[in-house]
Amino acid sequence: MEIKILGSGCPNCKRLEALAHEVADELGIEATFTKVTDPAEIMAYDILSTPALVIDETVVSSGRVPRKDEIAGWLEAIEHTE
Amino acid sequence: MTVLSYLVTLLQTGMGSLAAYLAAHVLLCLLPAFFIAGALSALIPKEAITRYLGRDAPKWISYSAAALGGFVLAVCSCTIMPLFASIYSKGAGLGPAITFLFVGPAINILAISFTGVQIGMDIALARILLSIVFGVGIGLIVAWLYRKQDAAREQASDSSAAFRAKAHVPVQTWIFFGLLLGVLIAGTLQIGLLTQSYTTFALPGSWAPRLQAWLDGIVPPNPSLGIEGVSVQGVLLIGLLVLIGVTAWLGLNKIYDGFTPWTYASLGLITLTLIVASFKVSAVDGGLLVGLTGKLVAEVVLLAAVWWGAARFFDEYERQEWLWEMWRFVKQIVPLLVVGVFAAGMARSIVPATWIQAIAGRNTLWANLAGVLFGVFMYFPTLVEVPIAQTFLSLGMHRGPLLAYLLADPELSLQSILITNSVIGKGKTAVYVLLVTVFSTLSGLLFGAWVNGTNAWLIVGLVVAGIAVLVAGSAWINRRSTRRAASAEAV
Repeated sequence: MEIKILGSGCPNCKRLEALAHEVADELGIEATFTKVTDPAEIMAYDILSTPALVIDETVVSSGRVPRKDEIAGWLEAIEHTE
Repeated sequence: MTVLSYLVTLLQTGMGSLAAYLAAHVLLCLLPAFFIAGALSALIPKEAITRYLGRDAPKWISYSAAALGGFVLAVCSCTIMPLFASIYSKGAGLGPAITFLFVGPAINILAISFTGVQIGMDIALARILLSIVFGVGIGLIVAWLYRKQDAAREQASDSSAAFRAKAHVPVQTWIFFGLLLGVLIAGTLQIGLLTQSYTTFALPGSWAPRLQAWLDGIVPPNPSLGIEGVSVQGVLLIGLLVLIGVTAWLGLNKIYDGFTPWTYASLGLITLTLIVASFKVSAVDGGLLVGLTGKLVAEVVLLAAVWWGAARFFDEYERQEWLWEMWRFVKQIVPLLVVGVFAAGMARSIVPATWIQAIAGRNTLWANLAGVLFGVFMYFPTLVEVPIAQTFLSLGMHRGPLLAYLLADPELSLQSILITNSVIGKGKTAVYVLLVTVFSTLSGLLFGAWVNGTNAWLIVGLVVAGIAVLVAGSAWINRRSTRRAASAEAV
């Protein structure tokens, strides 16, 4: 699974990254983490504001830091389809 | 020796200006405003507004959303540029995007309340009203000038799915905002019901007048330059602010790990500060005279309701989000604001009042244009435009050019022009900058004329006529574009 965090290093982007790491560890999901900081690359995704969370090239949230159980839900749902 | 005394005067005016900003009435405005900003940012999903900005939305809805959206979306003028860039590149119409860019910096809660308390409600209201009217106007004009190009852009790309996301804001969140706004309004509204003391009592103590005399020695009040001194109450408030700073640093920086005793300590101290600031205290012979004001009662009731609502309406995660966003804004804005206030205060004793009066002492076309140009070429961090404007005011600037400056400063700076340029291109940016210059100057002139007391109805008439022309223009554009779409379908 590939998890991307989109954002130009704002405090909330760092929090989202830490949170995603934490949830993946708790669920025992193997994932690669990528931080996307290049504005052009960020705008290629269908989002209006950062931070955004992208799992396997699907935007699951943007413009906010989601709750841990939300992140867990997305990770598990995508894990099942794989 | 003269150099030394000059430096002392400089420091004193800087400190005087800083002290005035830490005074009771400013705290009653700024503390709640930061909590509201944090709540808007944390508790209202951006989708609640952005869904109306896509080009599928009817014109009148997308322009209204763009004009009012700044209040919810951009709680600080520092977040306008990135949002503008993303809504435009994701396919919002050029017009609404431009309207959002223009109105946003003027309409956010921090700017409005800060301007209102420090410079006057007249300027704050004029800043909101004129920026909405002219923001929609500039959006419509730019959209009309580039209608062909924008239509081509529209066909080249699908309207982004990003605009289709919807969001629901529960009723209790609105109630909560009502309570927070109540705290802000009760503390700042200057009406007798709130400001007068219903009972007064005296605290004996001969230290009070001596302390006051000592404070007046360090920071001499200078009414001619608009410098208030520091009061005994002010010293107490500054002490409380230092304690808030320390406890908030310990309790809010890691709010996501949970609420700690430090968190509760800082929230308690903030509540206490608002309550202390609501008393009317004056140092008299033999002690302190303490007045229980109407706003004290209102603040106590409303603050209790706010904390009750925070505990009742939201879960722990939402409370953490709220406090974190609030704290993030404070950390981002307050340090620069303190430096800005100090520097703007010192400028009062450096800049000769005769210069300001010669350039912008009267409400002329050139004075208003000068205000706008100063705003464009000087870049000040968020909210620092307010102490700068206050310095100008105390040096004798007319309120008309002052409004022109206040409108232009957060809108246009060399930096924001460069970013706008990279988003929408050279030609459109040039037109935008020109229009902002013209309309800000015009706003200043109209407001200045109103301040001078001439023909209030004529000004209202002019503005209404202007709105009518704009509405008619937009209806015309709308009809043309639907007709074109219809004929395209027929083909």
